This record gives sequence, structure tokens and C-alpha cells, in this order.
Amino acid sequence: MRQDPRLQMIENNMHQGVLATYGFLGSDTRSLADVLQADQIAVHDLGTDHRALATKMRSFTAAGLKALGVPVTVNRLYQVTVEEFKGSIPCPFGDNYQARKVLTQVSSPTKTLYWSDLNLHMIEEHGFYEGIGARYRIDPRAIAELLEEEADRR
Amino acid sequence: MDGGPAISPIILLFAAIFTSNMVLANFLGMCSFISVSSEYKTASGLGKAVSLVMIVTTVINWLVYRFIVVPLGLDYLRYIIFIVVIAATVQIIEMAMDRYLPDLYMKLGIFLPLITVNCSILGISLFMIIRDYSLVQSLFFGLGSGLGWWLAISALAAIREKIAKNKLPLGLEGPAITFIITGIIALAFIGFSGIFIIQ
Amino acid sequence: MSIVLTVFSVSLISTILATLVVLADKVLNNYGECEIDINDGDKTFMVTGGSNLLSTLASSRIYIPSACGGKATCGLCKVRLGSEVGAVLPTEEPYLTKEEIDANVRLSCQVKVKSSLKLYIPEELFNVREYKAKIVRITRMTRDIKEFQFALVNPASVAFKAGQYIQVVTKPYANIKESVMRAYSISSLPTNNQELEIIVRLVPGGVCTTFMHEYLQEGDELSLRGPFGEFYLHEGGDTLVFIAGGSGLAPIKSMVFDILRQKLDKKLIFFFGAVTKQDLYYVDLFTKLDAEHDNFQYVPALSQPDISDEWEGEIGLITEVVGRYITDTADMQAYLCGSPGMIDACIRVLEKAGLSQADIYYDEF
Repeated sequence: MRQDPRLQMIENNMHQGVLATYGFLGSDTRSLADVLQADQIAVHDLGTDHRALATKMRSFTAAGLKALGVPVTVNRLYQVTVEEFKGSIPCPFGDNYQARKVLTQVSSPTKTLYWSDLNLHMIEEHGFYEGIGARYRIDPRAIAELLEEEADRR
Repeated sequence: MDGGPAISPIILLFAAIFTSNMVLANFLGMCSFISVSSEYKTASGLGKAVSLVMIVTTVINWLVYRFIVVPLGLDYLRYIIFIVVIAATVQIIEMAMDRYLPDLYMKLGIFLPLITVNCSILGISLFMIIRDYSLVQSLFFGLGSGLGWWLAISALAAIREKIAKNKLPLGLEGPAITFIITGIIALAFIGFSGIFIIQ
Repeated sequence: MSIVLTVFSVSLISTILATLVVLADKVLNNYGECEIDINDGDKTFMVTGGSNLLSTLASSRIYIPSACGGKATCGLCKVRLGSEVGAVLPTEEPYLTKEEIDANVRLSCQVKVKSSLKLYIPEELFNVREYKAKIVRITRMTRDIKEFQFALVNPASVAFKAGQYIQVVTKPYANIKESVMRAYSISSLPTNNQELEIIVRLVPGGVCTTFMHEYLQEGDELSLRGPFGEFYLHEGGDTLVFIAGGSGLAPIKSMVFDILRQKLDKKLIFFFGAVTKQDLYYVDLFTKLDAEHDNFQYVPALSQPDISDEWEGEIGLITEVVGRYITDTADMQAYLCGSPGMIDACIRVLEKAGLSQADIYYDEF
């Protein structure tokens, strides 16, 4: 299906090498509208919403940021390392959000997830988790699983 | 042929808006109708652009048909000819707008390339040939159809904006509910039928 | 026969339409010669209209800072216009504040030159040049930091202040089809004006740093634009505190060497923060400088040294170390360069020690 031309312009910004070397859509052949729709349904199925997921993720990043690059333990379960790099990357949705190049690595006993500040912004504001195969694709189900490990412990 | 059927152009105008609405009665131009109707502002912009292109291309296609296609006996080529005429016209409109009406170009510019392949535009040109409209009739028919398309997509987008705030059953999200709404709007438009008969 | 007629007529009609489109393009997209007037007559010149203002200015050798190269995604190429060019485009809108729109500030990459224009830009931009430079040496400093030394080819020399930055213009490589521009602080001395040195840390997925680290070879030629920036030595201050992390060392290196070379009567102390010993670089250079100059002190600090590092220097977060050293802030100025997280934390520590915000200068990545 043809998509809104504005969404098409955003999709063009997302291709490999336009704003970032890896691109935001990876090997995904679906249109941006379909990618957004699929993750919307996944988040809906998890019984949560984009903003709630992003808020939880952001709390890990904030905890790690204070340590200036040194790994810290959050909630006695997660190892969090935050690294800051030079420069900023604009949000491909063209809303003048310049994300700082901050990478957060969160490891639980069973899994490790990475995300950037741009991921946080795109999840929060646009419900976008990147296309399948993209370097910084972060599956909403994986985030939920990571967060559940703590609940399981209690 | 010059006289066309005995329908007043004004009646044709209203008929094209209400009783034989391009999208709701003839189901033409559905693609962009469904996919670009999630936001009222965007939808209305597209509607205006479609109206503009419809008026211009109907007139040009009428002239091309009357003075080139018919004399050369190329009636069987009319689909191809209409399509290329529409494509070229949209290109030129885009350039002229950029130069003389930059404000309008900003608002409608991004929709123009999308319109080239909108089947309702081609539909108008074909209807006008099949129904033997005169130039004046074609002009009003094009204008009416454009306004009708604009009305339909604006109505749909306004409803979708309202719905977006509510929770829907999962299977109905997106295109599914849009088709259902379209169907209901079309049913409502049936209420107009019988007022003017043009097809 | 009818096949021939069909082919002929379709071709004829297509040709006529194509001609019409080309003619329309010639007539409608021809804006002729337009006059650009900068800062009320400081500089005026004629250009051919039809392209965007950013590239039109660049072709007249006026370089407005920009990172995205005209895609309206970086929002850097703002200029204030003195003539009316129509309403603000939806693509620019998110990047402009209400005050800026009222003052007729626009993104120069989104403004099409259609008639004569008046515009206002900071005077420093007149000194910005595009330099062709050749890479003479690439040195690996740490696992993800490299030092690049350029020899200027054309123009052959550059005038800049220690602490300023230049923009590197990348070339298309691998799947990157367009060139981009990224800013890097100059780490060499202003007196050495035929060469430039920059320090680049590899950013995972970074368009420019990947190009610099993985595709550039010694001997390659590259375009540089500059100098830009207001991070340089300011008047006053008997004691100067420098704090850097990662590639933030670059402008500090240039400033420290420049001050020591001029034999200014100032006391300098330089803190460099890293996690482990493998993130440290230029240690020998600064240790030697420390030994040679009575008024320069070098304090490298590790926040989490490995046991194998056998580290005998300062241990702790850079903020803790700075806090231990800085107690008296009389006649002090601080110059900070590094990640925003580090800078924010250090500013808090310095303010707590009594330094006023006006005496803290910083360059955030």
C-alpha cells in the first residue's frame, strides 16, 4: 500500500548511509508504516505502551550516565554501562530532536541489550523500534522480557 | 459531440460531488484515499491538490481527445495518451507552482507526484469521453469530482482522527477500520441518489 | 500499417509532451542572475539563481556551518535574511524558534535563491575557507582513538586560534552515497600554520568517524573547512584549569602548548579522565611537559584501573579528583572539553569549589 508522502520522506532519511551508516530499517523490506504498525501491535499485546517502556529504559541510562563510563549495578540485578561519544544524530522523523550519542548496555544474568539515546526518543515519541536487521533494532518483547526478570526475582 | 448530453453543467457539478462521488460511488482513487487519510491536515492538502489537477487535466485531455485523438483515429490509444498527458501536466503544474505560488507549492507540492498515478484522475477523463461531455460540462464535471474527492477524504480523515484516540479491537486497527468507515460514508451518500442521475 | 501508425503517434505525442516539460523547465526554473548582499554591503556578488542558499553561498566561498549537507536534518545552517522569501517551509519549522521566525532566520539549505537577497551572518564566517589537505600521518592512540596529521595543499596556510575546530568533508564510501561534514577540534599549534592535527574517536555507526578510521589512508587528499568556534583562551585568569576526557583532549593540547610557548605568566593544571590505562594517550608527551615547566601540572586520573595497569596515579571519577585538587578558585578560569555528562558533573564540582559560571568555558561534543 502506498503510504503518506510525509512518512515516505522520513523513510528515505532512514536508509543506510543517509543519517547513519547502518540505517534504521536494516534488511526490512516492509514500509515504515507497516513496521510501526507491527510494533504497535506487539506493544499492545504486551499490555504496555511506548512511553512506559521508554521511561523504564531511560532510568537505566540515567543511572549509568552518572558513573561516567564505569559499569554500575542497578536493582542488584542489571549491569549497566553507558558510553558517551562525540557528536549528535538527528531524529529521522524530522522533529529537530538531536540525540546525543549515548550508548547504554544493560546485562541481566540471561541477556544483554544495547540502546542509544536516539532509540529512547524514537520509542517514546514515534513508537519506532527500527526495522528488523537494523543495527540498533530493539524488539519491544525483548525489552519487556529484560524488565520482567526483575519482577520474577521479587 | 460539442453539445454533449442535455445536462446542465451546474447539475453535473453537484452530481459529481454527491450522487456519483468519484471515491464513494465509483470507488476510484482508493489507494491514496486509504493511505493518506490518517491526519486531517494532510488529507485536506491532498484533496485540494487532487481537485486542482482534476480540473486542469480534464480540460487538457478534452482538448487532446477532440483535436488529436479523434481526427487521427487513435481512440484505442486513449488510455496511454491520457496517462502521459496527466503525467506531463502534473510536472508542469509543479514547476509553475514552485515559481509563482511558493506558498501553495509548500502545502501541496509533496502530494503532486502522488497524484500522477491516482486512478480517479484518469477515471474522470475516461468518463467524460464515454459520456460525451462538452468542454464546459467536462470542466464542471472535473471540478465537481475534485471537490467530491476532497470532501470524502476530509470526512474520512476527520473520523479517523477521532477514532485514533480510542482503543480498537486489534484486528480492526489501521486499514480494516478505514474500509468499514468508508463503507458507512458511502452508504450515507446513497441517500443523495436519485436527486441527480448522470450515470 | 496500424502498428506503424500507433508507434508513430505514441512517439510523437510523447515527444511533444517531453519537449513541453523541458521548455517549461527552461522557462520556469530560470531565475537568472541574482545579487547576494551580506551584512548590508560588506560583501556583494552575483550568483545564478535556482539552487538553495547554502550551496549557492558555498560556491561563492562563503561556508555556513552545516553537518547534514542540505537535508534539513541538522538545523545548523541558520542565517538571518533581510529580504522576504516566502513563508517558512514545513521542513524548517521544527528547527526554528518563534523568535527566530520573527527575526526572519531560516535554514539556508531550504531557501531557494529566486531573486536578489540580503542576509546577515557572523563576520568570522568570512575567514572560513575550504582547504585541500593531504594526510601525512595516521597514528593509533588507543583502541578507538586515532590522530590524523594533515599538510595543507591549497591554500597552504591557515590562521586559527588554539581551541577552534575545523570541519572534515567526507567522500562517499561503501554504502554512504553523500558527503557529510563533521566538526573536530584542532590539536596542533596555531604557529604551525601549514599543518593541522585532529584527534578522532571511532563512534559505532558514525558516518564520518568510520570513514576516517577505516577508509582513509596516509597520502589521501581531503577537504577541510574552518576555522570555526568560540572555545579559545579568554582574557584574565592566573590559574587555568583544563579538564578533558576521550577525544576532548584535542583543543586542550593546542591551548596548553600555545600558552606555554608564549611563556604567559599563568599556572596551568590539566586533568585527563579515563576508565582504564588503555584509554590514556599522550601520557609521555604531557609528563615530559610537566617536568620541563614549573607552571604546568598534568593529572591523569583513572576511574577503574585494571590490576594489570599497575597504576600509581590518581584513582576515582574525574569529578572526585578535580574536587581533591581544586580548593582555592581565586583568579581561576576553567576550560572543559569532553562528553556532556562529564562536563555537567565537572561544572557542578567547580561551582561548589567557588568558581563562577562566567569563568567556566566548555566545548561539548
